[in-house]
Amino acid sequence: MMWRDVGVTLILSLILPVVAQGARHTPPGKPKLTSCRSPDKETFTCWWEAGSDGGRPTTYSLFYHKENSETVYECPDYHTAGANSCFFNKNETSIWVNYNITVVATNALGNNFSDPVDVDVVYIVQPHTPENVTVGVLEDEDGPFLRVSWEPPRKADTRSGWITLIYELRVKLEEAEEWEEHRAGQQKMFNNFSLHSGGVYMVQVRCKPDHGFWSEWSTASYVKVPDYIPRERSMWILIAVFSAFIFLILTWIITLNRSSVKHCLLPPVPGPKIKGFDQQLLKKGKPEEVFNSLVVQSFPPRSTDYEDLLVEYLEVYVNEKQELMPEGKDLRDVGCLESKSQSDNDSGRGSCDSHTLLMEKCGGVESKDESSYEEPELLQGQAGSWERLERGDSQVVDTPDSSDARVKTWPLVFSPSIHGSSDNHHYGTLEMPKQHSTSEITYSVPDHLFPTSTSFPHHHHPEYRDSLGEYSEYRHSRSPSTGVLYHWEAQHHPQAHSNFNIRNLERQKEATGFGLPPSRSMEYVEVQKVNQNQLVLKPLSSHGRGPSQVQFGRAVVDYSKVNGVNNDNVLLLQRQREMAEAGQYCDYREKEGAEAERYPTQQQGKTTKDGPVATQLQESTCLTTSGYVDTVPTMPTF
Amino acid sequence: MVLLCVELRGSGSASAAPICVHGQAGCHFLSLADLFDRVIQHSARMHSISSDLHSEFEQYVLPSRNHIGRINRHCHTATILTPNGKENAQRLAREELTEVILKLLVAWKDPLWQFHQNMVHQDDFNNFSSNKALEMSYMVHELRKGVEKVADKMQHLGMISNTLSGLSSPEALDPSSDTCGESQAMSDHDLLYCFRRDSNKVQNYLKILKCRIVPENGC
Repeated sequence: MMWRDVGVTLILSLILPVVAQGARHTPPGKPKLTSCRSPDKETFTCWWEAGSDGGRPTTYSLFYHKENSETVYECPDYHTAGANSCFFNKNETSIWVNYNITVVATNALGNNFSDPVDVDVVYIVQPHTPENVTVGVLEDEDGPFLRVSWEPPRKADTRSGWITLIYELRVKLEEAEEWEEHRAGQQKMFNNFSLHSGGVYMVQVRCKPDHGFWSEWSTASYVKVPDYIPRERSMWILIAVFSAFIFLILTWIITLNRSSVKHCLLPPVPGPKIKGFDQQLLKKGKPEEVFNSLVVQSFPPRSTDYEDLLVEYLEVYVNEKQELMPEGKDLRDVGCLESKSQSDNDSGRGSCDSHTLLMEKCGGVESKDESSYEEPELLQGQAGSWERLERGDSQVVDTPDSSDARVKTWPLVFSPSIHGSSDNHHYGTLEMPKQHSTSEITYSVPDHLFPTSTSFPHHHHPEYRDSLGEYSEYRHSRSPSTGVLYHWEAQHHPQAHSNFNIRNLERQKEATGFGLPPSRSMEYVEVQKVNQNQLVLKPLSSHGRGPSQVQFGRAVVDYSKVNGVNNDNVLLLQRQREMAEAGQYCDYREKEGAEAERYPTQQQGKTTKDGPVATQLQESTCLTTSGYVDTVPTMPTF
Repeated sequence: MVLLCVELRGSGSASAAPICVHGQAGCHFLSLADLFDRVIQHSARMHSISSDLHSEFEQYVLPSRNHIGRINRHCHTATILTPNGKENAQRLAREELTEVILKLLVAWKDPLWQFHQNMVHQDDFNNFSSNKALEMSYMVHELRKGVEKVADKMQHLGMISNTLSGLSSPEALDPSSDTCGESQAMSDHDLLYCFRRDSNKVQNYLKILKCRIVPENGC
């Protein structure tokens, strides 16, 4: 059995190829039109591909017929365009006509038709590549650029306007990957900027009709861009050189001013400095000496200086015989009350060339311990040289004249009541405040001399009122040439502690109840030295009194009663005589005993606001003294 | 397209005398080259719209219609003899070429309007296509006026003879009376196909005319 199958298979395998050989000859396969193109819109070419051969030589033919026409034409030219192509020349090409093209493959056994294709030449235009592509590198102020120019393909007739072509080019460096494409429109020239110097560029161009296909890229044109340094670098070099130059100049300037620059940038750190500290001593190893220098002499304040801090009063009166004003100012018509100034150890006595301002240089007020007590003459223009010295550190003025004396100026408070000096009356500043509790008189004694002549009007009675609550300073300024160091400021300082109202009783003529002991004469005393509790006065004139020490606590003081202040710089002292003329004065004599004085009502009337109070004060003061300008010590005893 | 200084005196006038010819003050003078350029640009735009509309039609509408066979496609403008090649076109005189252009433009005014009207009532085209059809019919009308102005200017400049005066006569340029029936028989597809071709013809003829008369630039 198996032998039979093998034999059949062998026979079949031999027969079949023979049979099959006869079956190879078939009609050709179906051809296919691949494309039709027209390069110039005047001719066109169609290409086809052949189908299977069918084993026999096959011929292909192309047939076409135009639209709306049944006439079939065969391809006029099969060779011009190559194999399997058909070329339509100008005569056979119609534009805007629809061609229906078919290719037929024919062999011995049969033929085969391809599918028909409609072709309108207008829409199959694909021109050739642009020609004469030239590339060049040109220079510009911005730098080099690439200029590409070309021409349209020869066959495309753009000159008559039959074809309108638009162009496109692409550029890239030789080693680059990507192309850089640019549309050039209808122009035939293109400029490409932003080049890399020293590189080789490739350029290609192609074109396309307004309705059609793009042509092939032209063959690449190579161009080399030369190397050169761009101008920007030269500019940077210039800037670098310029800045280096400026830097050198700055360095030179700074070097010249090395020290000042160093001082400005690095200010020296101040080292610690202790005043009076001697580092050398410290190095020597003597700490005691070193630290001794640190001790401040003035601190803590010593007890001996306490008086400086306190206000003290000093009443100074001068002997009447002494010349009050060395300058010899005329005693005014008011008269100068001569008052004896007896040298005793009364406080306030002595020649007063002091800054304490006072009234006119007039007769001094003698204050004695004796009962006899003359009221000092009230002088105008001359003030008795009594002074209330209020010692205070607040006002210390050096007189221009006194070189050795340190005269202090005290704010003056004039007690309107000028008390007659009485030896019993201790005008120690300590006592006064006790008696006149409400009254305080502080005097300011500037360093100026007391101008006697110019100060007071003659006919005025200086009247000082003892008024509460008001404090006046009267300032007198005078040339310091004389020995009169009397200056008192006339100012109105309402102070709480001053209770006296010194008013400008310029026109007051009434004699106050206060009277000065007529026998007293006032003299200025220059304060020579101020010790503790002591005021060393320098005698004004040479009546040989010598510096008399005025001590506090001495009682009797001669005072001139201050009538008023004229023109703010004239202290009007009341004369006793005027008082006598006025008929009203307060005369107080110790010996005679206290008498109730009558105070001029006029005076009372003339008091200022503190009238009633002043009146009372006047009374009180009159009782105690007569017509003295009191300075109430404000400071306690010490 | 506006020709500022050219006045069209009615449709029956032989030639419209331009207001400003020699660059009077306040009048912007348009040269013939400028006029040609504008006309050519206009025709290019018209052709592009027609191409778009045709491709849309073939892409969306035709498959649904199962349209079979375009063997007997007849454009209603087939009666107008138009040169089918470059030599043929160059063999024509300027006046004849201009006349052909005008004939074509005149012939397409009404069919395009009809086409637009049909599109509005149909659902084949979307609104975008409908707008294109309307724009197309409008552009044909404007292009015709522009070409007439160019012809007037050419005649004024003496470049062409006055034999063109007969073109503006309604009888000569109104092919609708002749092709009235044919235009209505056309299908939409054929209409679009025909108009695309004719707009291309117009554009091409104008270019030829321009490069023949004013070959300064672009030729």
